[in-house]
Amino acid sequence: MTLLVGSFTMGLILSLLALGVLISFRVLSFRDLTVDGSITLGGSVAAILLASGWNPWLATLLAFFAGALAGTTTGILATRFQINGLLAGILVMTGLYSVNLRVMGKSNLPLMKESTLVTFAQSFATADAKWTFGRWEVSVQDICVVVMIAGLITSVALLMYAFFRTNLGLAMRAAGDNDQMIRALGVEVGWMLTFGLALSNALVALAGALLVQYQGFADVQMGIGMVVWGFASVIIGESLVGSRQIGLLLVGAVMGSILFRLLVAIALRWGLNPNDLKLVTALFVFGALVLPEAIAHLRKRIATT
Amino acid sequence: MLEIENIAKTFHAGTPNEVRALRGVSLKIEPGSFVIVIGTNGSGKSTLLNAVAGSFIVDTGRINLKGHEITRWPEHRRAQFIGRVFQNPFSGTAPSMTIAENLALAAKRGRNRGLGWALGSSVKTDLYDRVRAMGLGLEDRLDTAIGSLSGGQRQSLTLLMAGLLKPDLLLLDEHTAALDPKSADQVIRLTEEMIRRDKLTTMMVTHSMPQAANLGDRLIMMVQGRILHDFQGAEKQRLAPEDLLARFEEVRCSEQLDETAADMLSRQYV
Repeated sequence: MTLLVGSFTMGLILSLLALGVLISFRVLSFRDLTVDGSITLGGSVAAILLASGWNPWLATLLAFFAGALAGTTTGILATRFQINGLLAGILVMTGLYSVNLRVMGKSNLPLMKESTLVTFAQSFATADAKWTFGRWEVSVQDICVVVMIAGLITSVALLMYAFFRTNLGLAMRAAGDNDQMIRALGVEVGWMLTFGLALSNALVALAGALLVQYQGFADVQMGIGMVVWGFASVIIGESLVGSRQIGLLLVGAVMGSILFRLLVAIALRWGLNPNDLKLVTALFVFGALVLPEAIAHLRKRIATT
Repeated sequence: MLEIENIAKTFHAGTPNEVRALRGVSLKIEPGSFVIVIGTNGSGKSTLLNAVAGSFIVDTGRINLKGHEITRWPEHRRAQFIGRVFQNPFSGTAPSMTIAENLALAAKRGRNRGLGWALGSSVKTDLYDRVRAMGLGLEDRLDTAIGSLSGGQRQSLTLLMAGLLKPDLLLLDEHTAALDPKSADQVIRLTEEMIRRDKLTTMMVTHSMPQAANLGDRLIMMVQGRILHDFQGAEKQRLAPEDLLARFEEVRCSEQLDETAADMLSRQYV
C-alpha cells in the first residue's frame, strides 16, 4: 500500500512535467528537449536554497522562475537565432548540465533535516498516525503530502485552463496551430513561442523542485529521459480522454502521468529490471506514436481487399 | 491610402534559382477603391500582395500605408491595418480551435492581447450575429473545431475574420482558386457584400477572367514583375473577359522572345 501511495504521489508530482510538456509538445507543436535539463535545474535550485535554510515556498517559487529562464533561452535560440528547435533544446539541455553542477556545487545534494514543503505537509499529522482501509494501513502523513500536492496540481491545471481561454492564451494556441494565420492577425509568433517555452519549462522545473523535496535529494542525473516520460504521459492522457479539447488535454496529462507511474510500479513489482526502464519507456512512446497510424493503415487495407 | 514606390524583390539572389519577382512596381491606391490584380503565372501578382502584407521585406523601394512608412515593418505589425485571405483555405484558420475561438482571435487583430476572457458573453453574442448574417448556417456550430469544416466554409470564415475589424486594406490572394465552383461563387458573393457594406479598400488577385471583369473599379495587369496595364474608371467598367484574354494573348506572343534576347535586340537596334 505504501508503494501504491508512493507511486501515486510521484505520478502527481510528475504530472507537472506532463503539463509542461503538453504546452511545448501539443500546444506549440515544438519538440522541446530542454526538459531534461530544466527539471534538474528546478531540483538543484530548490535543493541548494533549502539547504541554505530558505523558506520552502520561496525556494520552490525561485525554481519555477529558473525553469522559465531556461525555457526563454531555448525560445530565443530557436526564434531570434533561427536554430532548429530540437537542436536549440539540446544545446540548452547540455549547457544546463554544467549549470546544475555549479548551482549544487556537487553532483548530489541530500536534504536530510531541512524543512521542505513535504515536511510542512507532514507536520499536519503525527508520524505514527495511521488510517486503515480494510486490510491496508496508510500513514496519515503520506495522505497529507498527497493532498497538498494534489491541491497544488489542481490549482496549476485550473490556472492553465483559464489562461488558455484568455486572449493571450488563445493567441499562444494559434501560434502552435497555424503560425501564418496568427502572424496575419498581428501576433509575433517568435515571442509567443518563447513565452510558451518559458511557461512550459517553469512547470517542469516546478516538478523538479517538488521531486527533490519528496525524494529527499537532488541529483545532477535526475533529468535523464524525463522528456520521454513527459511525452508518454501526454500520449496516454490523450487516449484516456479521447479529445484534443484543451481542458480535457490538461486532465488527460495529469491522469496519464499518474497511470504511467502506477504501470511502471506494477512492472517493477513483477520483476522488470529497473535498468531496463528507460528502454521500455522509449519503446512505449515509439509504439504510441507509430501504432495509431499503422492501425489506420491496416484498416484501410482490410477495407479495400 | 496605399502608396507603393518602385519596389523590387529578387528571391534566391546570386543562385541558379534566382527569381526577379518584382522589378520596380509603383502604385497608388485611393481609399475605398477595389483593385483587381491579374497576371500570368509568375508575373508577381501574389508577390506584390505579400510585399504589402510584409511576408518579406522588399529589396528596394518604399511602401506607405495610411501615412505610415511600413517598408521595414514586420508582418505582424502591419496586421493592425491589413486583413488577409489566402489562396489555401487551410491557411487562414487554426484547425484545432473552434469557430468561436478563431473569430475571437480575429476580433483582436493587431491589438494588445491581454488576460481578458477571449469569449465573454458579449463577444459571443456579437460573433453569433456576425456568423448568422453570413447565412451559411454555421452560427449554431460555433463550438465546433474549424478543421472539421469544408474548404468553402473555412474560406468564408477567413473572409469574415479578415473583415471583422474593418481593415484599412483588405488583401485577397486568389481566395477562391482552390474552391469548387459553388463555394467560389458563395465566397465571391460574401466578398462583394462585405466590401460594399464596409467600403473597404481592397486588392484582390484572381485567375478568373469573369471575376476580373465584373468586380472592382480598377484593374491592374502584371507581367514579369511589372505593371503592364492599369485600367480605371469607365475604361475598367467597359472591360469584358474577352478583352482581358486578348491582352493575355498579346503578352504570350511578346514573351515568345525571351527577355534577354529582347534586351539584346533593343540594345542593338534601338
